[in-house]
Amino acid sequence: MPLNDRVKDLSFKANDRQDRQVLQRRKTGPKRLNHKKRDEQKKIALIGWSIPSIEALDYIQRPYIVVSLPEFESYATEHQIPFTKWNFDRNLSYDDIYDQSKELHDILTEQDVDHAIPIFEETVEWAGALNSHFRKDPELYDHSILFRDKAMMKRRAHMGGLKVGVFEEGESKEDVRRFFKRINHSLLRHRDEDPEPIHVKALNKAGAAGHRIIRSEKDIDHKLSDGNFPCLMESHLEGVEISCEAFIQGGKVRFLNITEYVVFGYSMMVPPSPEIEALRPEVRDEVQKVVDVFDIDHGIIHPEFFISNDGTLYFGEVAYRIPGGHIFDLMKKTYGFNPYEAHILCSDPNTTEEELEGVFPDEKNHNGHAGSFLVYPKSEYISGINIPPELEDHPSFEKHTLFRPGVSKVQDQEGYGNHLGTVFFYHEDSEHVKQPLTDYVDHNFFM
Amino acid sequence: MTLDVNTSNTEAFKKAFHTMEEAFPYAKKMYQSDALQAAAKVMEDVDGMKFLYQYADRFDAAGLFEGGPWAEPSKLEPRLVSGSLMASGMTSIVEILSELRMVSIAKGNHEHETVTKEKAKDFLDSVMALNIDILFPEETEAARIEGKGKEKNRAEKLFHFLAEELSLTSIATTLIKEIDGLVAQRPIMVKRTVSMIKDAEQLLNNPINAQDKKAIKKYVQALSGSAKLCKEVKEPCDYRKRLKDATDKELKEEAKAFAKSMHETGLVSDHHVVLVRYFNREKKDLLPIALGLSKKGIAHLDEHFDTVSGLIKVAIHPPMRQSLYGLALLLERGVLSSNPVIPGLRRLIELDLQPDIRKLLLNSINPNEGITANDILVAGVISVLGQPLGIGQGMNPTCQTARGISLWSLHAPGHLLELIPRAARDGDVDVMFEGQMIHSKNLREGLVDDLHEELDPVSLVLVPHMDRIYGELVRRAGFRGDDVHKWVNPAFYGNWVNNGFSSALDPITGSVTDFSGFVRLFYSTHHPELNEGHELIYPNPVGIFITNSFGHLLGLHAVSIQRVAKDPDGEYRIYMYNPNNDSSQIWGQGIEPSVSGHGEIAGESSLPFHQFVARLYAFHYNPYEQGDAYAVDKEEVEKVEKLARESWGEKYTWVDL
Repeated sequence: MPLNDRVKDLSFKANDRQDRQVLQRRKTGPKRLNHKKRDEQKKIALIGWSIPSIEALDYIQRPYIVVSLPEFESYATEHQIPFTKWNFDRNLSYDDIYDQSKELHDILTEQDVDHAIPIFEETVEWAGALNSHFRKDPELYDHSILFRDKAMMKRRAHMGGLKVGVFEEGESKEDVRRFFKRINHSLLRHRDEDPEPIHVKALNKAGAAGHRIIRSEKDIDHKLSDGNFPCLMESHLEGVEISCEAFIQGGKVRFLNITEYVVFGYSMMVPPSPEIEALRPEVRDEVQKVVDVFDIDHGIIHPEFFISNDGTLYFGEVAYRIPGGHIFDLMKKTYGFNPYEAHILCSDPNTTEEELEGVFPDEKNHNGHAGSFLVYPKSEYISGINIPPELEDHPSFEKHTLFRPGVSKVQDQEGYGNHLGTVFFYHEDSEHVKQPLTDYVDHNFFM
Repeated sequence: MTLDVNTSNTEAFKKAFHTMEEAFPYAKKMYQSDALQAAAKVMEDVDGMKFLYQYADRFDAAGLFEGGPWAEPSKLEPRLVSGSLMASGMTSIVEILSELRMVSIAKGNHEHETVTKEKAKDFLDSVMALNIDILFPEETEAARIEGKGKEKNRAEKLFHFLAEELSLTSIATTLIKEIDGLVAQRPIMVKRTVSMIKDAEQLLNNPINAQDKKAIKKYVQALSGSAKLCKEVKEPCDYRKRLKDATDKELKEEAKAFAKSMHETGLVSDHHVVLVRYFNREKKDLLPIALGLSKKGIAHLDEHFDTVSGLIKVAIHPPMRQSLYGLALLLERGVLSSNPVIPGLRRLIELDLQPDIRKLLLNSINPNEGITANDILVAGVISVLGQPLGIGQGMNPTCQTARGISLWSLHAPGHLLELIPRAARDGDVDVMFEGQMIHSKNLREGLVDDLHEELDPVSLVLVPHMDRIYGELVRRAGFRGDDVHKWVNPAFYGNWVNNGFSSALDPITGSVTDFSGFVRLFYSTHHPELNEGHELIYPNPVGIFITNSFGHLLGLHAVSIQRVAKDPDGEYRIYMYNPNNDSSQIWGQGIEPSVSGHGEIAGESSLPFHQFVARLYAFHYNPYEQGDAYAVDKEEVEKVEKLARESWGEKYTWVDL
């Protein structure tokens, strides 16, 4: 052994002791945000076009400006909705968004805005960037990315002590193959004919967009293309999937809604079946943990959990925005309050305890179960709609929004795509709601 | 007044409607589905329509129609209503509520910016006239077994409400106007006319005005038989027996009455056919009366009596009753004097038909009539030769072939009688194109994938072949740097088409190029006062832009200019043959081809000269029969150009040279 190596070898113990001393003297772990208030006198910018949210702002009389794509400008002008157009480019890197948001920030500042509330998944980082300019705090932007970059999100959750599956970021099919093999090896299933599945997800898309289930090595070649990368690869979690809608103010969960995904991607029910509802205290603890781990002061989060057979909750992902699938409308129906108004109130850091008083109903006291069934086109061309005759006579049928389509060519569908209409159900008994939510998955509502 | 409605349904509607009324204007759309669903529930109640009508004057302001096709009632079209009513889902609910709004406007309960009281009333009258079958549903076995869908039930409720609120009088007037328009064109295929007359017949038991009642009766009798004896003996078989006992005077009266009705309406009754067949056997001298012939017609009948008698025996049967009208007109035209026609017809009687053609022809009538496919084909040829302007394309996009059959029937019956056996016997039609023979049997695709078989027998036989040939000609003439029709039309139709050709569209760029030059050329070759008096001898196959009632472009269409002449008011009009024989064409900008009242021959439609040019996109002309293009009035050219630019022209780029 050369002399130098021996010297190094001898010094490592001393170095290690020194490092430990340094670490004991400073604080490690997540950097806590400095949650600053906004200027009371100024306006709120709603990032994204959502009529119910605009209506909510009008009801609670917070001055606002809507920032959205140019195509909404004429409608806004026609109805005197304060509006600023902005082209949200979907293909920008996070760094580019931060840079470009300065220009939008300047425009909004001129219009007396100093706070931004995101509506949709793709506007979360824009709102984060704007708020970090408004508060002159760049970490606010990084914080918003936590809710967008699924790998960053999972890592944070994992380090905070939430139960997550095993995951890695992947750049190529080879990465997926390696991950798939390792997972199966760990579970001693690598010799099985039917191996353990893994999930491949887009790093930053909403809902099921870019989600592929890999059940064999063949699937890697068949189901994936270059467009799927970079991606997040995850081990499979078993159990019932639920989503939560947590309204947060002052770092505390003020109201927790639990939504049961009856058929993933198609139908959901609020509140969930009694078996799941019984787990509310555990779910609430877990959601509060998410709030703490992610250092959330205010706003709405929409986390998804898997409940395993033994009742353990596994964290799937979390979004910082209004949920899709008409969940807010279902809540409105069963809990009897306006979640859109509550969203605005919770997204405003200045909202006071007095203002929140009486906004939320008792989350344990609901009035029946409400379900929504999203209707997707099943073929590329549609000429009319085809409603099963017995549907409207079902005891839980409430309403639907199916019109004969004006355009027969269906837009490209990604993930679960855009639904063309929704069927709503409502009944005292959750079984009466769950049954039609399951029954019509294979029915083609279009001709 | 107490309404028979379920209170929980009406309360739900009131609440949902109120929420929508109170909503911010921009948010109203969000509450539409609740209000519509609640309205749908109310519609199930007995007096549901009446209840909803109480709110109809507030529908617009509440935002019930906002953001959808119903938002602007002035743009709604009556003929689209029945489709929407039968569509499932929310579409039919909005459509019904939109009708209730129209009633409210028509009654003056609700003033609308763009729809006047009168317009709303006209709209509803047309809707009712077009949907008489919903008002008086058929009591058929099929309807009974199939049961009625939700949509059908709701639609019937709506129409009962409309019938109570509106007078049936104006509906009858509208319906008769529609029938008049169709009948004026004397189409060979009368299925639609007959079904509208059956609809109108339902109105006879309702309080409608005397004049309309008379008109309806006239049409009903044209179908059922207007003569005295036939009213006594309904059953055709008994009628035949009754004729044998009739006196000559009775027979003459009978024949006169039938002939009058046939020439007035273009419609033939079964009894008329029975009478003519009887005369053909027993009372040959009465045939001219039964056919209602003029002196010229009688002369032709006398000249070719044996032939005509043979044709009646073979082809004039109750299932093909309309051919009797064709036969009368054929004699008036004197077509039998054209040398190839008689042997051509004789050949068809015993022609060996292709099995698929036989099947196709037999399918066109009811089974078990005891009639051969050849009989049907001959009857079809009689109709085509008698009514060259009565040929229609049906539901098929084959205006070219229909135009061809019409042209050949008018000017080249011998050629037509060559094409038919080629197709029916040989399963092939050939056309020479620039030295090469094109055989239809070798071609696979034409413009039509699936022939709609509601066609006259001649079209049934020829369209599949001619359509494929036309498609092949278009293919071969492509990429020559000019509109394909320049070469296709003379090859397809024959030497009757002039070789000069001009199009408003630049074939390379697709833009409108030198439009004023195009207009000037048309005026100087077609306007009688500018083209040095050259008469149009053969129909000119031209291309036009079809526009809807707002002047928006729908597509291209083929019609033929039959003649250019002064109408009874002294205005120059273009008289055209439109293979799409629809009575009410409304092309926007006040351009509405008329089918009668402006000197039209039955089957023609016409427009003032400049209005026609404003929809023209291509025409043929004889380069040796041209007047001075510079002599065309500048204002006239500008007038045409303005109409063109503000209608179909909006969809094109305009390039000035």
